[in-house]
Parts: sequence; structure tokens; C-alpha cells
Amino acid sequence: MSHQSLTRRRFIARTGLGAIASGVVAGGLTRPSVSWAAAAVGQPAPAFTATATAGSSVSLADYRGKLVILEWTNHECPYVRKHYETGNMQALQKETTGQGVVWLTIISSAPNEQGYVTPGQADELTANRKAVPTAVLLDPKGTVGRLYGATNTPHMYLVDKAGMLVYAGAIDDRPTSRKADVQGANNYVRAALHAVAAGQPVKTPVTRAYGCTVKYS
Amino acid sequence: MVERRPVRILAAVLLAGTLVTAADAAPRTKDDLASGKPSAPRVRVDLISERAGIEAGAAFWVGLRQRIAPGWHTYWLNPGDSGEPMTVEWALPAGFQAGDIVWPHPERIPVGPAMTFGYSDEVVLLTRITAPAGIEPGTRVTLRGRAAWLVCAKICIPEEAGLQLTLPVVSGTPPANPREATAMAEARRAVPAASPWPASFSATPETVTLTVAAAGLAADQVADVYFYPSQWGVIDVAAPQAVTIGARGITVRVARGALAAAAEMPIDGVLVIKERLDQGIVSHAIALRATREGTPATAASSAPPRVSLLEALGLALAGGLVLNLMPCVLPVLSLKALSLVSHAGVPAARPWRHGLAYAAGVLASFAVVAGALISVRAGGAQIGWGFQLQSPVFVTLLAYVFFGLALSLSGAILMGGRLTGLGQTLASRPGYAGSFFTGALATVAATPCTAPFMGVAVGFALTQPATTAMLVFETLGFGLALPYLLLAVMPAWSRALPKPGPWMERLQQLLAFPLYASVAWLVWVVSQQAGPRGVAAVLSGLVLIAFAAWLHRVTRGASGSWRWAATTAAALIVVVAIALGQVVATSSSSARSSPAAGGVPSEPFSPKRVAELRAQGKPVFVNFTAAWCITCLVNERVALRSSAVAEAFARKGVVYLKADWTKRDPEIARVLGSFGRSGVPLYLVYPPALPGPSAAAEPSVLPQLLSEGMIIEAIEKI
Repeated sequence: MSHQSLTRRRFIARTGLGAIASGVVAGGLTRPSVSWAAAAVGQPAPAFTATATAGSSVSLADYRGKLVILEWTNHECPYVRKHYETGNMQALQKETTGQGVVWLTIISSAPNEQGYVTPGQADELTANRKAVPTAVLLDPKGTVGRLYGATNTPHMYLVDKAGMLVYAGAIDDRPTSRKADVQGANNYVRAALHAVAAGQPVKTPVTRAYGCTVKYS
Repeated sequence: MVERRPVRILAAVLLAGTLVTAADAAPRTKDDLASGKPSAPRVRVDLISERAGIEAGAAFWVGLRQRIAPGWHTYWLNPGDSGEPMTVEWALPAGFQAGDIVWPHPERIPVGPAMTFGYSDEVVLLTRITAPAGIEPGTRVTLRGRAAWLVCAKICIPEEAGLQLTLPVVSGTPPANPREATAMAEARRAVPAASPWPASFSATPETVTLTVAAAGLAADQVADVYFYPSQWGVIDVAAPQAVTIGARGITVRVARGALAAAAEMPIDGVLVIKERLDQGIVSHAIALRATREGTPATAASSAPPRVSLLEALGLALAGGLVLNLMPCVLPVLSLKALSLVSHAGVPAARPWRHGLAYAAGVLASFAVVAGALISVRAGGAQIGWGFQLQSPVFVTLLAYVFFGLALSLSGAILMGGRLTGLGQTLASRPGYAGSFFTGALATVAATPCTAPFMGVAVGFALTQPATTAMLVFETLGFGLALPYLLLAVMPAWSRALPKPGPWMERLQQLLAFPLYASVAWLVWVVSQQAGPRGVAAVLSGLVLIAFAAWLHRVTRGASGSWRWAATTAAALIVVVAIALGQVVATSSSSARSSPAAGGVPSEPFSPKRVAELRAQGKPVFVNFTAAWCITCLVNERVALRSSAVAEAFARKGVVYLKADWTKRDPEIARVLGSFGRSGVPLYLVYPPALPGPSAAAEPSVLPQLLSEGMIIEAIEKI
């Protein structure tokens, strides 16, 4: 309980800081000021609407009542390739979507940046990689990515049935690009799903995401 | 998948030298770029050694040098929002052991809205390798390993390479490796130095504020301050850091990181301070461990350290009990016990009330000590139990008190109408104030003593909010008070004590000796803090106290006016003795600058003293420094205090003079000006004066950023 009120205050402070930051970067402390990292675990997942590869609009709100996994990706990133070329990511997609979990793969790479794809290329990648997300969302302006504070690919989020963000961070506890490290890794997303299914709090709700930086515009 | 590039051969040719035989030195990428961009080597890694050989059984430093292509970056220990630090898998010959990577401080690499920490151009990561004893001089040893790292520009590429370095085994200390000396020295310079200042932090749900107690810094000289946390999630690394430099030191306020629990533990990291000096801006990296300041608001949620509160209280109670047996406390307590013996059988004495008054005295004075300790720590100072002993004045006064007590036990001070000592006078004084005072005295007597179990309890208390800390200290006090309290409350127990008799006087005299021993120890402490002048002052003070005691005693039987005069004189003498403590204080300021452990003792600088010493044929090293100069402090920490420098000074008979410019002394300013400087640091090495009229050989001027090697080299040249 106290944890929740704590993060609520932090949420307010963060968004406030973001707004102030644009004016206060004086003193030689340069930093791009954006309203950044608004998403906080223990808080409602920020609402968004994005275009799926099929051209349809997808909103987070459409899935209220279901568990939703958000996966930021960039198919050229070695860390993403670690999880796709070993079949690790696809296995998790099959396992979870098979249980009725919604899996949204999000691409926030800007045009001309690594990982940027057209809707057609995205579908081709899904087919070639035998991936089974519920939908692939294209976010070339980085709006959704910035809203969630996605810094890495892969960067994983889990939203519970009440629309609360219950996990944010890495896919597992082996922050390398070595494919051999997939074996024996502790998958944080799977652990979070199990905890939520059992009605328990997520043991490790926040971790440091590892991978390539998201190639924002 | 894996491309082998001709560049590898080129690199191997470039690096093949007498010491370095590079194989597979250029990296290969595990995953080539699907984007089809040209793939040139982005990082070339080689293994370099500080020394040109290996000594059996000795440790030596090697460096993993990364030469990073323009526009690309590799990562620090904590890479920030993204990235991965270099890892090395060593395959060393039998018996060799490699330590962890020692990381030079990173730079900020913002990437879009994220912040990462790493390196560009060139960096050398240091590793300490220990050689086994059983290697033969004349043979050669090849160190091998495999390094893996991530290199990013806008895109990221994992790379890896083999490492190889062959070195001869030599007998004795191997010579420096001239080819790599500069690179290794620069790497050492960039490794964070132990902080000269304590650090603490406070946290709100939104922000973390770090305070580095670097009081008195010249704010206008600091160009930039940035804190690099060692762990992810402690602070929001992408958020701006608001820096202030004021009377309390440096504070850095920044948004909290994503890990809610992070603010419950000490915060580790590196503070990089850029300071403006005469010759441009220099960076200093300081390793910090900031401990949380006591904030009662979070008492309930504070993370448990190694011991729980209950355990800490248990240890405090045990520690307090054991304190009774320590040589500084035992005499005081024994006197109290003796008073019980003499009161035994007197029903009106109500010993239990004395017991309570005594316990109250202990607890009240513990509250005062703990309160002072807690409030001073809240101000950012890193002090612990016995912090008072860091003040030579306090140590001197404590020595006086112990000496006075000891004299009274020996029978040299007579108070009241009977042949009894001060302690017993207090103990047998009818009022309970006497008992209360004895309790306070026991606490004072206990301050230089630590007992087993106390360390853990006090250590725990100091990490806790004020209320919890106070509870632990009071439990400690209760433990100290408990044995006497029990004796007083249980008349049956005191009846078990031996009957009064002449043995009491003997015991009392005997008990004086632990106190004399305590005085001897305290004088030794003063000698460490304030040098020979301080010792002279405190010993003179002791003599005066003894004289005052004698004066008071011999005039006891005299007529009123004589007695009054003698008492006044004795009091005045004691005042003089206390005033001598001031000498100790002033001696300390010059002596304190010479570090007690591992450093070279210094004398204050004056041009006259330099001339004198040189005329005596002695070389002189002058350190122009100031308390507010970060570069000066870091140089002292990194270079001047090393044992190798102390050895070099001793070998050449160098006298170390310190010119303290903290208060902008005009004479020092003139000397600085004569070397074209407007500020500190300045380091000069004067050779001894040559015989003859044209005696004055010019001093050599050392760089503003010192290394151990530079000082030793300059000294060796004399």
C-alpha cells in the first residue's frame, strides 16, 4: 500500500520535473528535455493508440481485462537477434498468447535509423522469424516509446488486467548478446506472468533493461 | 557470419614488439551488420604491462587498452540506460591470479532521451595480476585472455578479441615499461581516488540529494560536477543533476531511479569534479560511498542491515556490561561498589536510590554523547564512537580528568574532612547528586574504551534514524549502569561483598594504576595528533595538576586566609593547565596536515626554512596546498601519501615542507607569483645548496597533476 502511494508521488514529481527540466537545464547541464519515463510500475500503464502493420489502430484500452505484454524491438540489434535467433522470444510469444495474453511488438526506430521497417517489411519479418505477436505496432515518431521510457531493444513491459503496469525492464537476467546465455537465464517476464496468474505481487517488478538503445528520431 | 579482416594482420604487425606479441588483436564481430554498412574495426584491444617483467610472488598491473574508432563508444562498469561493460575471461598460466577490472571514470554519452556512461577514443582498463612464487627468473610467461565488449555509435555491435602478452620473469623489482608508462600513468590518474571527504545522502520519494562534506571549496574554481552511480536504478541517470557548492560542501540533487529499494542502501559511485587551475581545467574522479542520513520518516521501511534492531540492542547491552570491566571504567565502578560496602547495614542509606541516580547519570550523559554524535553526523561528518578523541583538546582534558582521579585514588588529593579520595567522597556524599555525577563520570571514563560487541551495535546505530540510534546508545548506557544498579537494588547481593576494612584503602590505591595507564595512553594519542609540542604541553599540564593537588593538600590545615589563597592558586594552576590544551590545539593544525599513517611528515613552509635546509645540504620538497583545493587533496591522496614516495624521501633525505594557502598567506602568494602562479597547487623540488657564492640551483617544478612516479623521478634526479 505504502509502495503505491510512494510511486504515485514519484509519478507526479517525475512529470513535473520533466516539464520544469526544459526550463532548468541551465548551468551547463545539457540534456534533451522531454516528458520522459512517465510510465511507472505500480501505476496505470499510460494509454496509447498506435498503428498496427495491418493499418488498423490499436489502443491499450482495447485490451482492458487482459494481460498485455509490450515488447520493444529492432530486428538488427544483436541483443534482439540473440532472443529471436535462438527462438527464445518466439517461444515466449507462443506460450503467452496461447494463454490469452496479448503481445504487442512495438518498433520505435525512426525512418533511416536501424530497425526501421515499413508495414510490409514488418510482416515479412514476423513470418520469417515465425514470430506470433498479437500485433506489431509501428511508432516511427517514438511517441509510445517515450511515453513508456523505453530505452532498449528488447525492452519488456507487462500490464495487468486492471491496466496497471506490473513489470518493466529486461527480458532476463543475462545482460549479454551471447546466444549461449539464453539457456538457464531467469526470464523476468515469465516470472512476472506467473506471479500475476497466482495473484501474487511481482517479485522483481523493475530491472535494468539491456540491449541496444532505441533509435529514436 | 564471422568476418576475418586483413586489418588483424596490420594490427598484429603494428603491435608485435619486444614485449607485446599480439595475436588476434583486432576484434571480430559476432554479428555482422545486417544493414550492410561497411564494417571497419571499431575497437582495437591490446594488453599492456606497467613493468617490463614479472617478479616471482609479486603483483603487477596490466592494462586492457581500447583504441576506439571516432564516433564510437564502449561502456563503463554501470553503462547507464543501455550498453554493456567489457568482460575478460582470463586463461592465465598456473598460479597466476587476476583481480577485477579497475575502471577509469567514464564520460557522459547521451543517446536520444537516454543517458549512457562510457569511453571514447582511448581508454585503459587496469587489472592487477599476482604471479606465483615458483616461477624461474630467465623464463618467459604468456598471459592470455579473451575480452568481449559492446561498442556503439548510433548502432551497437558486440565485439571480442583474444588478448596475449609475453613478459620475461626477472629477479627483483622489474623496471618500468617505457613504451606503456604514459598510457598506464594516465589510466591510473583516471581511476577514482578514495574520497578525501565523507559523503551522505537524503532521499524523498522524488529525489536523491548527495552531500559531499567538502567544506570550504572555492566554488568559482569548480567548472563542473557530475555523479556517476555504480549501480543502475539508484538515480535517474537521464535526469539533470542540480549541483550546489556551499558551506556544507558539494550537493547533487537528482531525480530518483526506478529501483524503490535503492535509497535504503548506501549509494556508491564516482564523483567527477572539474577544477579550473592556472593551466586549464583538470578532472578529478573520487570514489564515493554515500550513507543515508537519518530520516525518521522512513524508520519503518528501512532495510535491515546485517543485524536486526533486536540483535543490536542485545549486543549494546552486552557491550555496556563488558565496559564495566575495561581499565578506564573499572576504577570508577569499584569505588561505587566500595561505597556500598561501607553503607552495608545502614538502613537509612537507601542504596537503591543511589543506584537509580547513578543509572540516570549514565543514561543522561549517554544521551548527550549520542545526541552530539547523531547531530554532527546529520551535518555530514563521518564520525563514530569515540569521535571526541579526534580532538586533541578533548584528549588532553580527558587525560587531566583521569590524572586527577588517579591522584585522588592514590591519596594525593584530599577532599572533605576524611582521608578519602575524590571518587569515594562523591560516592559517600549523602545527596543523590553525587551518585548521578559518578554515573556521568563513568560515561566520560568509558569514552576512550570500546568493549567487545560494542562495535557492531554502534555501527548499526549510526546507519539508523535518530530515534533508533538513540535507543541503541541508551541500551549501551543501561548495560554500563546495570551491574551497580543490581548491587544497589539487591541489598542481599551487596551483603555478599567483603566486610569493610583496611583492604578498601589498598584496593583504592591499586585502582589508581589503571587510570595512570589510561593517562599514558592518552598522552600517546596526543603525540599522534599534535606532535612533540602537544606532548610537552599536556605533560606540563599534568605536572601543574599534581602541583595544585599538593598545594591544596599541604594548606588544608592552615588558617583561613592562607587556605583561601592556596585554594585560589591551585584553581588558577588548573586553569593554566587547561589553557595549555590550547597549545595542543594549535600544534595540531600544523601537525594534522602530516598524515598519521603512511605519509611523509611535513613542516610548515617559509622561504627562510628552505634556505636553511638547503644550506645544511638537504633537498627540499615544497607542497603549496589549500584545504579548498580539490586537486591538492587528490594529489596528496593519490601520490604524496604513498609508501614508495615516503621511501624515496627517506632515501634522499628530502625534507617535506607544506605551504598552506587555505588562508591566502601573502608570503606564500609572493612565492606562487614568482613561479607565475596565482593559485595552488604548486610542487617544487629544491636540490641542496651548492658550496660557493652561486649556490642557488633552481628548483624543479612538478606538474599540477602528480603521480607517484613523477615525484619519485624528480627526487631521484637530485
